Parts: sequence; C-alpha cells; structure tokens
Amino acid sequence: MSTEVNAIQFFSGFQVSDLWYLAKGAGGTIVISAIAISVGTILGCLFGWALSVSRWANMTLGSVLDVFRSVPLIIQLLLFFNFLPILGLPVGPFAAGTIVLIFYTAALVAQVARGGIEAVPSSMRNAARSLGMTYWQDIRYVVMPVGLRAVLPAWTGVALGVLKDSALVSVLGYIELLRASQILVTRTQEPFIILTIVGLFYFALSYPISKMTARLEQRWQYD
Amino acid sequence: MKTFTKHLASLAIGSVIAFGTITSAQADKLDDVISEGTLRCGVVLDFPPIGYRDANNEPAGFDVEYCNDLAKALDVDAEILPVTWAERLPSIVNNRTDVVFGGTSDSLQRAITVGFSIPYAVYYSQAIVGKDSGIKTVEDMKGKRIAAAVGTLPEKEFLKLAKKWDTEDLYQGYQSENEVFLAVAQGKADAGLTTNTAVKPVVQQFASLSAGPRMPWTTDYTSVVGPRKDQGWLNYLNLFVTHQVRSGRYQELWGTYVGGQAPELRIPNVLY
Amino acid sequence: MDYTFHWRPVIKALPDLMEAALTTLEAAALSMIIGIVLGLVLALLRLHGNRPLYLFATVWVEIARNTPALLQLFFFGFGLGAFGWHLSPFMIVLCGLSFNNAGYLAENFRGGFLAIPDTQIKAARSLGMSASQSYLHIIIPQVFRLIYHPLTNQLVWAVLMSSLGMLVGFRELSGETQFLASNTFRLFEFFLAAAVIYYLLVKIVLGTSYLLCRKLFRY
Repeated sequence: MSTEVNAIQFFSGFQVSDLWYLAKGAGGTIVISAIAISVGTILGCLFGWALSVSRWANMTLGSVLDVFRSVPLIIQLLLFFNFLPILGLPVGPFAAGTIVLIFYTAALVAQVARGGIEAVPSSMRNAARSLGMTYWQDIRYVVMPVGLRAVLPAWTGVALGVLKDSALVSVLGYIELLRASQILVTRTQEPFIILTIVGLFYFALSYPISKMTARLEQRWQYD
Repeated sequence: MKTFTKHLASLAIGSVIAFGTITSAQADKLDDVISEGTLRCGVVLDFPPIGYRDANNEPAGFDVEYCNDLAKALDVDAEILPVTWAERLPSIVNNRTDVVFGGTSDSLQRAITVGFSIPYAVYYSQAIVGKDSGIKTVEDMKGKRIAAAVGTLPEKEFLKLAKKWDTEDLYQGYQSENEVFLAVAQGKADAGLTTNTAVKPVVQQFASLSAGPRMPWTTDYTSVVGPRKDQGWLNYLNLFVTHQVRSGRYQELWGTYVGGQAPELRIPNVLY
Repeated sequence: MDYTFHWRPVIKALPDLMEAALTTLEAAALSMIIGIVLGLVLALLRLHGNRPLYLFATVWVEIARNTPALLQLFFFGFGLGAFGWHLSPFMIVLCGLSFNNAGYLAENFRGGFLAIPDTQIKAARSLGMSASQSYLHIIIPQVFRLIYHPLTNQLVWAVLMSSLGMLVGFRELSGETQFLASNTFRLFEFFLAAAVIYYLLVKIVLGTSYLLCRKLFRY
C-alpha cells in the first residue's frame, strides 16, 4: 500500500456521478413518502371513522393522535429511533423513519377524514338509510363520494406535507434526497448548486400535484 | 392425557423462558456480535482523514479501516453506521451500535456512561482560521466568532474558555465538522475548532483558510467506545488495539491517511 | 432491557430547557408577525400587482409551499453564505420561518380577500374613504376574522418547525435539548422532556388563541 498522503482525496468537486447519487436519494424520498402516505392514509381513514362514530374513541384515540400533531416531527423521529433499541429491538433508520411517518400521516389524515365524514349532511344520510341502504352502503355510496370531494384538497395538502417532511428522516441517517445532498455538500463544499438542484426536485414533485388538485377542486365546484 | 400434555407444554414453555433468561444473562456483547454475525460499528464520517466519504460517497478513512479490521478479527461482517458527533455516544447507550470509532476522548465524565478501551489514537485540538481573521494565538480568539461541532471535546473545553471571556454568545455549534469548515470558509465564523489531523487536508481544500493555533487544553487520548458494563467486550477491544500496533497495521493506516510517524500510544509518567 | 433511565440530569437542566422554550416561542411569534405582514403584501401583489410584481409574489409563494422547510433554512444558512451573506443562527431560523409563513399565509389572505364581496369596497369608497382606508378599516379586519383559525394553525406550525433550528445551530428548545443530551448522553430522557414541553407549548398557544378569539370577535 502506498504511503503517499496526497494520493487520497478527502474533498472532491461535484461530478456527474453525483447526480446519480442524488437521484438515488430522490428514490429514497419517493419510497419512504409513498409508503407513509398510502399506509398512513388507510390508517388515518380508519381512525377518522372511529373518531366520528364514537365519543369514547374521540377521547382516547383522539388525544393520542393529538400528540403526533403537537410534537415536532424531528423530536418524534429521534425519540422513536432511540427508544426501540432500549427495548432491545434495534431498527434501522429506514424502518424507524417509516413507522413514525406513517403514524404522523395517520394523525393528520384522521382529522381530514373525520371532517369529510362530518361534511356529509346528516339529512342526506338519513335519507339514504330510509331508502333501505345498509350502514355500509350508506358509507360507500353516499358518504364516500360526497366526503371525498370535500376532503381532497386537504388530503393533498397533508400528502404533500408528508413528502416534504420526509426530509427530516435525514436526521436518522437514512439516505434520502436531503441526506444525499448533505453528504455531497460535505464532500464538495458547494452548497449552493446542490441545494438548488434538490430544491428543484422537490418543487418538480410537489408543484404539479398541488396545481392539479386546485384545478380539480375548481371543476368540482361547478358540478 | 390432556393434563399430561398441558403439564408437558408448561414445562416446555417454562424451560424455554428459564433457558432464555440464563443465556441472555450470560451472553455478553462479544457473544451477541458473534452470533449476530455483524459488527455494528459507529463511525463519524466528517472527520477527514480519520473518517470521511470518498469520491464515490462511500465511507473511508482510518476509523473505517479499524472497523473492518475488528470485524475481520471477529470473523463477522462490518456494518458501518455513520453517526454525528452528538449521537455517537448515545448510540452506544441506546444499543444502536456495538462499538464506536470516532476520535472519542476518554474523559472521566463520559466514562460514567460508556466504556473506553485503552487509547487507540492520539490527537490534539487545533483551530482553523480565516486568512483575514488576524487570529495567531489563542488569546486572539477572544471576541471572535468561534465554531465547533456539537458534542465534541473542543466544544466543551472552548465553552469553558468562552465563559471566562464572557463571549459564550459568539460561539456557534454545528452538526458536523464539515459544516464548521464551511462556516469558516464562508466567513460565518472567524475560526473553527478541529483536530490536528484534519487541519492539513482542510487547509489544502480551502484557499481562504489557514492553520490556527493549537488549543490550550491537554492532548486528546482517544479510545474505542463500547457499552460500559461489558468488561469482556472492552477487554477484547483493548487487545485489538494492542494487536493493531504490534502487527504494524496502526503505523500503516496512519501513514496512509494522516502521513508520517504514528504517535506513540503511551501516556507519559503514568501506568495505564 | 439493559438501559437505566437517568432523570436527574434532565431535572437539573429544567431551567435551561424552560429558557430555551421561551426562545422557541419568541422565534415563532416574531416569524409569525413578519410572516403576516409579508403575507398580506404578497396576497395584495398577487391580487392587484402589475405583471412583474405578480410574478415575484407567485414565485415566492410557490417556492415556500413546494419545498421542505428544512431546505429553505439551509438556503438561508449555507446557501446565502456562498455569496458572503452571513446570518446568525437565530436570523437563519427567523428568515426561514418568516419566508415560509409568508408563503402559506399569503394564500390564506388571498382566499380571505376573495371571500369579501366587492360591494363592501364600493360602499366604503362611496362613504368617502380612500382605497387604503377602506382596506385598512373595512376589509382587513374581516379577513382576519375569516382566517383566524388558519392563522392559529400556522402559529402552531411555526412553533413546531422552529425545532429545525437545532440543525442550523440555533439553541432553541430542540437545539438546547440536543446540546444537553450530547453532554450527558441521556438522549432519550432529554428528548422525551422536550416532547412534553412542546406539547404544553402548543396547548398554551391554542388556549390563548381561543380566549383571544372570544374577546376579539364577540358580536
């Protein structure tokens, strides 16, 4: 092995292969947000439904979910990540980050879903039931179509929020887009270019979705 | 018959539980690592040339090689877990890592919480300063904006000094040493505190930086870190450190990454 | 479980944590005030500004809403630093949060303005008020009432997001917690304490807002 010190590069400039590294990081962001948003939404809808039907659930589940909305995500992540190994269940940054993001999403979606269910006038639901629909038919054919439209903008807001908040999983060391960019900034010491590229990526992901929802929302208003 | 099966089942469950507790009480970290087949090795990767990421963004450096050597000695796989300065010791306490290589000074306060091996590398704290900052001596740093990484020995020692000077509000704490270098290079801070080994590569990288004064606190004897109560594991780490020196690997890696003669790991005037 | 919980360091550090919690509230409140002013301006520019001003406001709003807050903070930190602009950690957090608050609030304000019928302006003008007078005395108070709830949510959000200060070296509640945790290694205990304090802070903000709402908007 050579003992020539200068042969080793501790810092090196931004290179084309680093774009690939960023792309892999972006993949990480998409994977973790997609899992959190889809599982979190399903859980959140269940929670929201429970909140809307039962006062008891409202007191217990409601106050638990409230904690997820009242403590900064970064603290939730650090707490959970460091708590599991104490119990002897060491989980990696990806698993820990995903689980916390799922519950965080669920807590936000629960509120939205509950709002959606309550947005359906009770007279409408009574009418459905008096037409002979079962409870689940009422949910499926009356509450869902009406409620969904009412909550779509709020839900998109939550989903895009989670996409952006997934950047915080970087503090656990999971290499998603922001973490990848930090690693590159460390090595290349060129923060401005790298932060701009990363910003553009998030923007390209988030902006079209938010615009599309806004358009859909407008169209539905005239239906 | 039915009762017999029931008894047998409870016996089986009971013995499993008993056996489980016995093994978990007797198995130590060394057994755990060997049975897991992986060594979870915390390394600080913003500590060039001791720990950094190479041009392919893969972990590299003196500490990373030490991890690999330790894993090889144990005949297990090394899992390099990048940790920040602030989280390297909590990661041992919380059982996220089995061992941490991260230029950790063996302070008495830290030893209350984590276990230390014998010293495996020796450093001293040195400042890097902006070329135009006018800082030549430690005294010049009074009233200047000084940066260091959160949870490091330089931070702790400097804050004592700053308290004496009453300039604590000028101190800036960053998540990583690279952010410290960047902060000084950009002019957000007048000087940054780091380790002598990092000064050369950093000064080579940034035209706007130069080597600053050596800081007035004692030499940094750094140790490999493990869980405090696992004496068997710490003994193994001690033996590992001595073997690295005896086999010449210590000098080889030091020569590769830092250059020159590796410092002697003996503490003068005391039997370690 | 091999872990022994140590609460003594946390209890010893409680005064420091409380002081840091005040810093958190200060940063959140300040960023909210700046955010409201800037948000109002941005909303008006998007409604009534000429083309360049409209574009400027729109770009601001869309960037604030479509990129992570943490990235925005990094921009105010090392991003601006690349051009020799140096903000202290407190200013990084304040600018980052204000930028973000302004972007979100601008959309709330815009919605609020659109919800108020034109006839009110006409009525105010016909009573002899100037355009700015009618905005100041007639429209804006109503807009505030309309968006009082989103405004409160944004403040809660600002309290929570100020925790990112930890990552840019600002010693608010999270930064202080991290500092103390890394000094004592009781990471879990300290962050649990911080979580409780944040929870209480949010409840205090919501409670105050509720009381204020009853006082302000009583008919």
